[in-house]
Amino acid sequence: MATTRILEWLGRLYIWLLLAFLYLPIVIMALMSFNVSPFYQLPFEWTTEWYASLWQNDQLISATSNSIEIAVITTILCTALGTAASLAFYRYEFRGKKFLQALLFPPIAIPWLITGTAMLIFFFGVGIGRGLFAILLGHVALALPYVIVVVSARLQTFAPELEEAARSLGANQWQVTRRVTLPWIMPGVIAGGLFAFAVSFDQFVVSYFLSTPGQTTLPVEIYAAIRKGFTPEINAVSTIIIVVSMALMLLTARFFKFGGEK
Amino acid sequence: MAEHVATGSRSGLRSALPLLLPAYLWLTVAIFLPLSAMVFFSSMTELPLSGKAWSFTLENYATFFSERLYLTLLLASLRLGLEVTLWCVVIGFPAAYVLAKVLKGRSREAIFLLVILPFWSNGLVRIFSWAMVLREGGILDTALNAVLPFKINIDVMYSYPAVVIGLVHSYVPYMVLTCYLTLQAIDDSLIEAGRSLGASRLQMLRRVIIPLSMPGLVAGAALIFVPVVGSFMEPRILGGRTGTFYGTVIEDQFVAVFNWPLGAALSFILLAVVLVILALTSPVLRRAA
Amino acid sequence: MRMSKLTAFLTATAVFTSALTLAATAAEVHVLNWKGYGADEPWAIAAFEKATGNKVINDFFNSEQEMLTKLRTNPGLYDVVMINAAFNDQAMAEKLIQPIDVANIPNYADISPDKAGSPMLIRDGKVYGVPWVWGLTALAINEKSFETPPTSITEMWNEAHKGRVVIRDDAVEAVQFGAITTGQNINDIKDMEAVKAKLTSLMPQIKTFWSSENDWNQMVASNQIDIGTYWSGSADRAKTHFKLPVSLVIPREGAVAWLDAFSIPVGSKNVAGAEAFINYMIDPGFYVEWVTKVGAPVSANTKAVAALPEDAFNRKVMGDPDVAKRIQFQAPITDAQREAYLALWQELKVNVK
Repeated sequence: MATTRILEWLGRLYIWLLLAFLYLPIVIMALMSFNVSPFYQLPFEWTTEWYASLWQNDQLISATSNSIEIAVITTILCTALGTAASLAFYRYEFRGKKFLQALLFPPIAIPWLITGTAMLIFFFGVGIGRGLFAILLGHVALALPYVIVVVSARLQTFAPELEEAARSLGANQWQVTRRVTLPWIMPGVIAGGLFAFAVSFDQFVVSYFLSTPGQTTLPVEIYAAIRKGFTPEINAVSTIIIVVSMALMLLTARFFKFGGEK
Repeated sequence: MAEHVATGSRSGLRSALPLLLPAYLWLTVAIFLPLSAMVFFSSMTELPLSGKAWSFTLENYATFFSERLYLTLLLASLRLGLEVTLWCVVIGFPAAYVLAKVLKGRSREAIFLLVILPFWSNGLVRIFSWAMVLREGGILDTALNAVLPFKINIDVMYSYPAVVIGLVHSYVPYMVLTCYLTLQAIDDSLIEAGRSLGASRLQMLRRVIIPLSMPGLVAGAALIFVPVVGSFMEPRILGGRTGTFYGTVIEDQFVAVFNWPLGAALSFILLAVVLVILALTSPVLRRAA
Repeated sequence: MRMSKLTAFLTATAVFTSALTLAATAAEVHVLNWKGYGADEPWAIAAFEKATGNKVINDFFNSEQEMLTKLRTNPGLYDVVMINAAFNDQAMAEKLIQPIDVANIPNYADISPDKAGSPMLIRDGKVYGVPWVWGLTALAINEKSFETPPTSITEMWNEAHKGRVVIRDDAVEAVQFGAITTGQNINDIKDMEAVKAKLTSLMPQIKTFWSSENDWNQMVASNQIDIGTYWSGSADRAKTHFKLPVSLVIPREGAVAWLDAFSIPVGSKNVAGAEAFINYMIDPGFYVEWVTKVGAPVSANTKAVAALPEDAFNRKVMGDPDVAKRIQFQAPITDAQREAYLALWQELKVNVK
């Protein structure tokens, strides 16, 4: 059994190496946001200057607030539309159901470059144009399938007899949904909502093609900065959003695990 | 007792429709119509909005086939997708195995979360962070030279390997996730039984574990390959002079050259390639489901 | 009931997002320029805003192509755009920019006549561009890599610099640079094959293609490059403002000279603000401060140049008749030329692999 021990030990070591690979660049980027040199020169000299100047940067601040607003609206819309659709799939059998479910696949599977450019052309062509509203349209469509998948997964753990019992006690469809079904699937709905938030908040490609000057989101602004000239302010703002989205996912994980329990 | 759980397919659809309509209307407006519109625009000579006269043409597609440039780039992008996918398998599969079969209990849960977590942070920011690491005179370079007795030069920034490293970093959690799910489903007693019958570790791996985890590998590969073929921001930031790919040329058509019809045609060709790949992998995926 | 609630909600979000859209008000001046190129200097914006009450909103491009596409796809958004005079022609032909009433720009009178009268900026007697600054696309070197500065453009082909050379990611600039190297007139390239061959042999030397000043400066700061094409004003800024070991070399083969000018896009909602901004940008007061604090190319305003100390680079070197003999000003290029250059450049970039 000595070989097994050694192999297990190597396995653990390997995982830690992988984690180092995954986190190394993020940690370095965060460190550089506290370094004085605007050209990332070493030796390292501590400063919080870049975080301070972040507050002076109107463009980054407005892009950040746009990002948050869009992510919040996306979350609300996606959970509402997604939960409704999941309920329909759960409750009813009908022809074409498989097809409709399969239609959820393209938004997830097609590269964003294609979806993004297609939206740009279409929205431009029909007069929706670009800007925050177009970005919102796109984000909801991208996040919706995730919400439906997550909520449906939670619904699988739901016993239909509960709905049946409530009906037999005289509750109408709306009451059944509100009093019985929704409370049960709530963890799934919340997890789906957090997913939607993360998808929207981190979305770059689609936002990039749909944004106009002044109506951009944070990732688009960061990309513009990377290509047109930047200072460690970009590291500072990147550090902040990485921390925010990781915290958000930790939260999701909690709910999702909770959602998986019977 | 207004409604029953409907079983008849027509009444089922009627009840389901109000719940489904908003979501699918949204998807139609924001995904399906745009994708169809792309086909339409890709066969135009000019953008109708520019005020110039336009007509239908197949010239944009002809451009793709007549100029070697685009085909070369598409092949380069496909090769990049293949390489990144292979690296993700090589790196991700063992990690998934350790997670599923070696680690137990709380530590497994925590480490699994740690592996998946970066995946949900902003992809652009993670690519940007590699630019910090890979530069010569960057932090990795300096740190290693401070520790090592001999001088080394880490200068992979602005090269093809830099693009591969950045992309593998971005997508390897996918592979870990999908392989983990299938590996976890393999019964431990099956492995024990095989071992007790005298199969070596390597035999077990080749005959049992890899075949059984195939759906996870294929799903992961599809999830990685497809977006990598369409990547443009990663090669832009990390690739330097080698950073021209199919995706970057499409981006250029939209943001710089302003040849949207050609951009749409190039996008559509990419979509066709992607759909073929998804179609090829779908039997394996369906078997998994 | 449910649907109507939903509709109400959708309407509400639509109203909400369109409220976000209504950002542009009359007193804003939207400026489109390169990043870090004078018009976005915080002290300059503050002074201009204080003096005129306009608020400046900057947007940036990283290639002339992108600048034109931004004008095309955002009609009515920008009030001022900075266009390389050689591209002014194209912008005007596409009706992206409008004639400027120079009577409202007092400093226009001080612009040197050869710049103000440039046929690239005037069409049918109307002014489409107000000359701002001119400079060179020459070579810049990392001082750490050279004992004595090179004098010839061929230094970029020197094996010693393999993988440590940069040029800009721009088809026109690359081709014209190739023309200079092969001893041709940049505006009348007879032997494209020679240019192509020369550039092809340069490709293995190259580290990356830069697209912003910041790219260049970061690479020098981390000692990744030895030599590359750079703009004269940018080299000055790198040295003066960022204290980087950069110096400009005007090679004996010559250099590409360009003239940058301000234009007002068609559909500008604040023409008066745009005129005031352009006037401020060509003012000697702004220019001298820009050169001293940050570093800049040569002003087109004769009074502004005269206000510099006599030994200033922009007066001494750039005003040197010997230098003037070597440089070639960019003229407008035709659509056919542009497409040919772009195809050549793309091919070069793809064949790198």
